[in-house]
Amino acid sequence: MNNHLVSRLIGANLKRFFAEALTQLINYSIILLFGLLVGAMVIWFSGKDPLAAYGALWKGAFGNWAKFADTLDRSTVLIFSGLAAAVAFRTSVFNLGLEGQLYIGTFAAAWVGFTFHDLPRVVHIPLCMLAGVIAGGIWTLPVSYLRLQWNVPVMVPTLMLNYIGILFTQYLVVFPFRDPTATMAGTPVLEASARLPKLMKGSVLNIGFIFALVMLFVVYWFMFKTKTGYEMRMVGYNPSFAAAVGMPVKRSAFLAMLISGGLVGLGGACVVMGFFGRFMSSFSVGYGWDGMMISLLAQNHPLGVFPASLFYAALANGALTMQSQTGVPQTVVGMVKGAIMFFVTIQLFVAFFRGRMRKWILTSTG
Amino acid sequence: MYWLPLCRKTHIRVFEMAIAIAAKNIYKSFPGVQANQDVSLSVEQGEIRAIIGENGAGKTTLMNIFYGLYQPDSGKIFVRDKEVHIHSPRTAINLGIGMVHQHFKLVPSFTLAQNVVLGIEPHKAFLIDEKQVNRSVRQVSEQYKLPLDVEKLALSASVGEQQRAEIIKALYRGAEILILDEPTAVLTDQEAEELFVILRNLAQQGKTILFISHKLREVLAVSDNITVMRQGKVVGTVKTSEATTCELAEMMVGRETVGGRLRNSNTVFGEVILELKGVSVLDDRNLMAVKNASISLRSGQILGIAGVDGNGQEELIEAVMGLRPVVEGDILVKGKNVARTSTRNIRETGVSYIPSDRYKAGVATDAYVWENMIASDYYRRSFSNWLGLRTKDINNAVKGLIDSFQVITPGTKTKTGHLSGGNIQRLIVGRELGFDRASVVIASQPTRGIDIAGTEAIRKNLVEYANRGAGVLLISADLDEILDLSDQVVVMFEGRIFDAGIVDEGIRIRIGNLMAGIEEGCSS
Amino acid sequence: MDFDFNRIITITLFAATFRMTTPILLATLGGIFSSQTGIFHVGLEGLLDIGAFFAVVGSVQTGSPWGGLLYAMVACTVASLVFAIVHLEMKANEIIVGLALNIFATGMTNFMLVAVLGATGYFQSPLIKGFTPLEIPVIKDIPLLGEIVSGHFPLVYIAFLLVLVVHLVLYRTPLGFHIRAVGEKIEAAEAVGINPKTMKYLGLLISGVFCGFGGTFLSLSYLNLFSEGITAGRGWLALAAINFGEMRPVRALIACLIFGFADALALRLQQFGLPSQIVLMLPYVVTLIVLGASAIHRERRKKVVLKISPEKKDLKLRVGA
Repeated sequence: MNNHLVSRLIGANLKRFFAEALTQLINYSIILLFGLLVGAMVIWFSGKDPLAAYGALWKGAFGNWAKFADTLDRSTVLIFSGLAAAVAFRTSVFNLGLEGQLYIGTFAAAWVGFTFHDLPRVVHIPLCMLAGVIAGGIWTLPVSYLRLQWNVPVMVPTLMLNYIGILFTQYLVVFPFRDPTATMAGTPVLEASARLPKLMKGSVLNIGFIFALVMLFVVYWFMFKTKTGYEMRMVGYNPSFAAAVGMPVKRSAFLAMLISGGLVGLGGACVVMGFFGRFMSSFSVGYGWDGMMISLLAQNHPLGVFPASLFYAALANGALTMQSQTGVPQTVVGMVKGAIMFFVTIQLFVAFFRGRMRKWILTSTG
Repeated sequence: MYWLPLCRKTHIRVFEMAIAIAAKNIYKSFPGVQANQDVSLSVEQGEIRAIIGENGAGKTTLMNIFYGLYQPDSGKIFVRDKEVHIHSPRTAINLGIGMVHQHFKLVPSFTLAQNVVLGIEPHKAFLIDEKQVNRSVRQVSEQYKLPLDVEKLALSASVGEQQRAEIIKALYRGAEILILDEPTAVLTDQEAEELFVILRNLAQQGKTILFISHKLREVLAVSDNITVMRQGKVVGTVKTSEATTCELAEMMVGRETVGGRLRNSNTVFGEVILELKGVSVLDDRNLMAVKNASISLRSGQILGIAGVDGNGQEELIEAVMGLRPVVEGDILVKGKNVARTSTRNIRETGVSYIPSDRYKAGVATDAYVWENMIASDYYRRSFSNWLGLRTKDINNAVKGLIDSFQVITPGTKTKTGHLSGGNIQRLIVGRELGFDRASVVIASQPTRGIDIAGTEAIRKNLVEYANRGAGVLLISADLDEILDLSDQVVVMFEGRIFDAGIVDEGIRIRIGNLMAGIEEGCSS
Repeated sequence: MDFDFNRIITITLFAATFRMTTPILLATLGGIFSSQTGIFHVGLEGLLDIGAFFAVVGSVQTGSPWGGLLYAMVACTVASLVFAIVHLEMKANEIIVGLALNIFATGMTNFMLVAVLGATGYFQSPLIKGFTPLEIPVIKDIPLLGEIVSGHFPLVYIAFLLVLVVHLVLYRTPLGFHIRAVGEKIEAAEAVGINPKTMKYLGLLISGVFCGFGGTFLSLSYLNLFSEGITAGRGWLALAAINFGEMRPVRALIACLIFGFADALALRLQQFGLPSQIVLMLPYVVTLIVLGASAIHRERRKKVVLKISPEKKDLKLRVGA
């Protein structure tokens, strides 16, 4: 790649990046604000001081460098999950099975992590990641098969495979692969060669986060700069149109599912190699569902996934401090998330309405 | 099979000649089109009135006004000599007007009787009185001699049965005036016959019947009078017993040849570039929409496909483009059989497509202008490589197309939905014709809903393309457009292709006849 | 590890089946109403949670389980109303709103568990008045049957009775026909003057009421407590059952019984240290298989129609008079 091309590409992209980022930022800042407001009201009604609570929340998430790094680490798996949802939703594929795909992918990565010994890190880590991607992708195949072969809409199968995935890995962890020395049901610990190197002392932040950042751009590039990504987006906008111009509609939908599963599996690999160190039966506190919310918040734009993931990670991390310092239970975060979701749905309506108005005006004078 | 026109002539009127329903000076316009212009008609009680006309004649609009689905801009409606304002279908039903639509509104899992009584189910306390439902529907069925197996599920019923159920549905609610919209569109000949018997019975029992059709043989077989509409106006009303098909066909399509012919009748055409051999296609209801169609298109030729909407045109071109399965037959582009291959493959052999509904299949309104314009060509070497899309090259090409096809847009990164309908169509034409690659162009309703400037530009584009050696298949509901642009015309009627010949003096009347289902020509 | 099937498959297992089926069944019946109007209700899980929580609150406040039931029904109805307004008036996508409801409900109940009831993880108190089991007079003395059928909590009997009621309402009353018409062919409903929006509101509100019943059962029978995650995915099982039963109450009941049996069996297996997860997976696997099978059946039928040479309309053009 010659330098001239590279610099031109980066320049043009940067401008567009900023423009898009700004509009999105304003868009969901309002939503997040409303969500926090709801949380504040609830805290106030329960007799505590919302400002103190949110202050503690902030400190817990960003108070010092170590905490900030921890928050970044927590956002790693959320970024992957959000990207997974974004790819699917942009193609109009309602992949509701991210939780299940996450579990399967994470287990596969962990398995590679604790089964193979004496591998150099440089080999072991990519191998685990590959396992996570492939396993997560494979878990989407039954759904795609039903869709492509027998025209079954994806929603119910993905929901079913969620629980099948969670329960199946739970079984694997409680019986065949159980680590007898562990107190909580979990697999043996991953080999040291399968652990992601840390980035700074005093924090769990590891290269998984860097990897997630890279993935943000990779996915953005894929969706907006490549042929296949373009096809997938057009299919997401209007499948009839995509078919009429000759785009491979079925293949695009299939790819979207596959990539979605793979991405969230990769996220699981990172979180098990970077944070947990072993696969435990209920490790996910809803990362898959969070990913969906994050993507919707970010209007399904890959780059927008980052700030949203950061926000969710901050909520989660900060809530612990908030609870210990002010006594406000961390479950209030769940309410904030729920409120945000409601506001997201209403915001979607506003966008829909604006678009409809414009179309009506244009077609009646067509 | 003989259509019994004699029966009508000897029919004895039993009731007095009161006016059941009348319209006076109705005007109705929609954005961009005057659907009804000074329309007046009056129908006697017990009369069977056929309203005929080709596309855009305004017949459906008028019927919808009668049924309260639209409100007229001005004019009056009279039911039984009293002026009325029909605000909604509810009002229409209360006035005794019932409508049977072209697409039936039956719940598939309900029985036919349950469908008939939907909304006004007879009940005892909270439960539906099932016996009474069946009994009351049977009663109506017997009274009006509409045979109906009331306990059959709607999804198992034949099309004819479903239609009878719809008619009974209206009669059950006390309809005295029945409006039927293209009732025989989905019926077999046998079923159509049965329908006519039913309609005659109903008329004899005092019901007034208005039905819309474009099929002359049926209209002549069953109606008392025929009202012909054209381009929003009533051309005239004739007594069926005195009408001739030629006269009617001419009333339907008019006789003037409007100036503006863009084709030279002496052009020599090249070899066959698109050939359909015995193509049959099913529609969404699994009925045969295209039957054994055979078409030959030569290089440099513009072949017009005329016909009233709904006779299989859409299904035919969807099949050609690979968007609908071809049940039997072959489609050859430059000798290669492309039937049952992918749309991409068909396009690669040199076929371009301008779809009839630009919002549904023409563009993605939420995507940018450049994304829509490059949609047919993005994967070619000049626009993408292993890294991804070559945005610079794409942008240049798109800008060039925007210029040559005069698409008015703030920029290439504008959301396509913000463009006006006319500009969206120019965008589509630019995409399909702009790269000069097509040997076959399939243009379906290319100027529908477009302003005059846009219409002229698009027509010019099509003609230029043909002059350069491509073959153009033009499907249009606008007869004038067909006659202005085509070298040769075929007509689609009930899924079959009929050749109307080259565009000469008598083409208009020939098309008129074929569109109405009459094969034999006229002397004039 | 030696199995002793006789110890695993016991009479109590069948009795437990009825018990475990009940909450799923109630959510399913409620979900059927919204499904029949054409709404895929993803928020059943959240509604069950709300129901379970407010049942406990109500029971403590009123001192009676029936008071708890009332609170639960009201709370669920309010939540359903919010869902309905956001989906039907603001035109938001029903899946997303359903997910939002789930997330909000879980967050709210978990929060209020701490903030209002002052408990962590779960709340148990002698103040919670649960239901008392019902012994059916004659049946309880029949040897095998009596143990299985009698002695359940009232809500169990109510749930199974409701299957008949729902069937009756849907297939024998005008309201049921209107609801089904809106879901199956909205044009037909509109053409005869049925207001689709009204039907959808109704469907959603009824779903709420039923989930109120279901949630109450979760927290006020057997163990009188509310805990985080008490719903344990039953709202999703309800969706699966509705799918399996193709929105028909009796068929969905079969699915619910299978699911309930799987639940009961899993519990039993757990007590013996056997893998319960495989059994718990069964409901979901079964649903997938059924989905696939019915889709295959549907598509095969379409292809047959194509083969039996569709009607070729015989066109004979006639010359006019």
